[in-house]
Amino acid sequence: MNRPIPRALLIGSLALLAVVAAIASLLFGAVDLSLSRLLAAASGDGDRTASIILFDLRLPRALLALAVGAMLGLAGAALQGYLRNPLAEPSVLGTSNAAALGAVAALYFGLAQIHPAVLPLLAIGCALLSLGLLFLLTGDAESPLTLILAGLAVATLAGAGISLALNLSPNPFAAMEIMTWLLGSLENRSFDHLWIALPCIVVGGALLLWNGRALDALTLGEDAAQALGTDLKRTRLRLLLGTAIGVGGAVAVAGAIGFVGLIVPHLIRPLTDRSPSAILLPSAIGGAALLTLADLGVRLIPTTSELKLGVVTAFLGVPVFLIHLMRERRLW
Amino acid sequence: MCDAASSGALIASNRLFVVAAVASVAVVGALSAASTSRTPTPPAMPKRIVSMNLCTDQLVLALADRRQIAGLTRNAVDPGMSDQADAAQGLTLLSNSAEQILAIDPDLVVGMPASGSAALAVAPDRYPLLDLETANRLDQIYHTIGQTAVAVGYPARGAALIARMKQDLADLPQTGRGRVAAYYQRRGYMTGTGTLVDDMMTRVGLVNLAGKLGKPPLSQLSLEEMVAARPDFLIVERTTTIVDDQGSEMLHHPALSDIPRIVVPEAWTVCGSPAYTKAARSIAVQIARHDGAAR
Repeated sequence: MNRPIPRALLIGSLALLAVVAAIASLLFGAVDLSLSRLLAAASGDGDRTASIILFDLRLPRALLALAVGAMLGLAGAALQGYLRNPLAEPSVLGTSNAAALGAVAALYFGLAQIHPAVLPLLAIGCALLSLGLLFLLTGDAESPLTLILAGLAVATLAGAGISLALNLSPNPFAAMEIMTWLLGSLENRSFDHLWIALPCIVVGGALLLWNGRALDALTLGEDAAQALGTDLKRTRLRLLLGTAIGVGGAVAVAGAIGFVGLIVPHLIRPLTDRSPSAILLPSAIGGAALLTLADLGVRLIPTTSELKLGVVTAFLGVPVFLIHLMRERRLW
Repeated sequence: MCDAASSGALIASNRLFVVAAVASVAVVGALSAASTSRTPTPPAMPKRIVSMNLCTDQLVLALADRRQIAGLTRNAVDPGMSDQADAAQGLTLLSNSAEQILAIDPDLVVGMPASGSAALAVAPDRYPLLDLETANRLDQIYHTIGQTAVAVGYPARGAALIARMKQDLADLPQTGRGRVAAYYQRRGYMTGTGTLVDDMMTRVGLVNLAGKLGKPPLSQLSLEEMVAARPDFLIVERTTTIVDDQGSEMLHHPALSDIPRIVVPEAWTVCGSPAYTKAARSIAVQIARHDGAAR
């Protein structure tokens, strides 16, 4: 067994990685801008073009990648801890697709024009509904596979709902829109999007981090956790609300980016003492770094039109998913 | 992620494909038997005209009598796409189904091209066809107007329409003065040279950014690249002024707020049609208005 690295060192180095990724994301893009031009723009006396590209395009995108990645990583770690299932995460459980369905409904039926808050609210509402449905479907089932199958059902249902909503809406470009929502993208995001997502992510993240000690107690089983003074109902409520609000806000602006919440906790866990609370914060920071790097990747890979983020995260995440499924085979 | 509706459509289109394949084998057989096409010649004054394409809808509506028109495409009544949506109200609309065409038994089928239509594949060589080429330049528009006018039995109307358009364009102000414009569509698609829109830009004295950057007729330009290219004007479609999806949302990104915009209804630019003069004039007037406000 590996010895855990000190928590401060782990968090510090992950944060450093995230900062480096964010800076790299400011330096590279579709247009080659020299470092001196960017520095001039950053200090406020650069040319107009460079400062628009830096402050209106690259900066909101980098900040959104950090925030969305942090939320997805944290949600994955919290769900894996609470459900004691190594495959739990927002996209596998269908939460992301459900949130995307809410966002699609808000955008395509004109509800988002009533008030800017409608978009995240509908996404959060649908995410909450999907989690409720999931918990209802799985009940007290012991097998981790039941949860994954229920998640698959919820995700497929929500994905079909997105296709249906887009096909019903008078939008001739539905196919491309469906792809963006199901694979996720941070292309062309602005500060408006950041202001939609960030409050949700802060609230959702805080609710999930609050659960740390309860998650540790839950590793001993529900009865033992209750005996230790954990209020299971409140823990579950915080988990549901935190995941729905945070993931809902993130998906409302970035689409359903898959697998970040799955990969990151697995990468982080061996570096810690493996208690659920110990991986929460590092998973958030690690998720921020991973998504920012993935978003840098889609911009640097030379394709005629930009790759969707979900493509990159799926290539990274599916192997992790498969390895864990193979381990589960012993239980089948 | 395939819902029931689209898989149904897939099956339907497969079926159509089989029908079309069978039909095309029949066509090949017919052609090898007699090398000349057996398409009947149209009557001088057709009474049941069917249009297979939004663009030919515009021409038929402009040139034929209302009672001659037996069928138009579904989009003919959509004011967002059809410049003659009002005129098309009340006329029979087709859904690209062979049955409807068989029931009408047209004596002229107009398309762009008409012969490639899947709906006609079940009954090849049965109806007189008018195949028009896609008009990407003004002279091509004049040519298709002339062809259609003759086919529907009113050549004089065609000549009059062309004369009117030429007169409209004769005093078109050249307000562009060599400035650069980009026709920027949803999701960052930019219209290039050799297109109708490029022809309009040139006519009002604008330079197409796509030509300057050496891009193909349709290319994708990211927001960053657009900001870096700094065109003098962005020409956008009117439908994109409302944000109802992510594709149109991108055109409202704050990074583009510095570049003056010219808004043109899609119905005027989607087809090479008599609406060309309206579009060109509207672009010229909007540039003049911008210059006036800036002064």
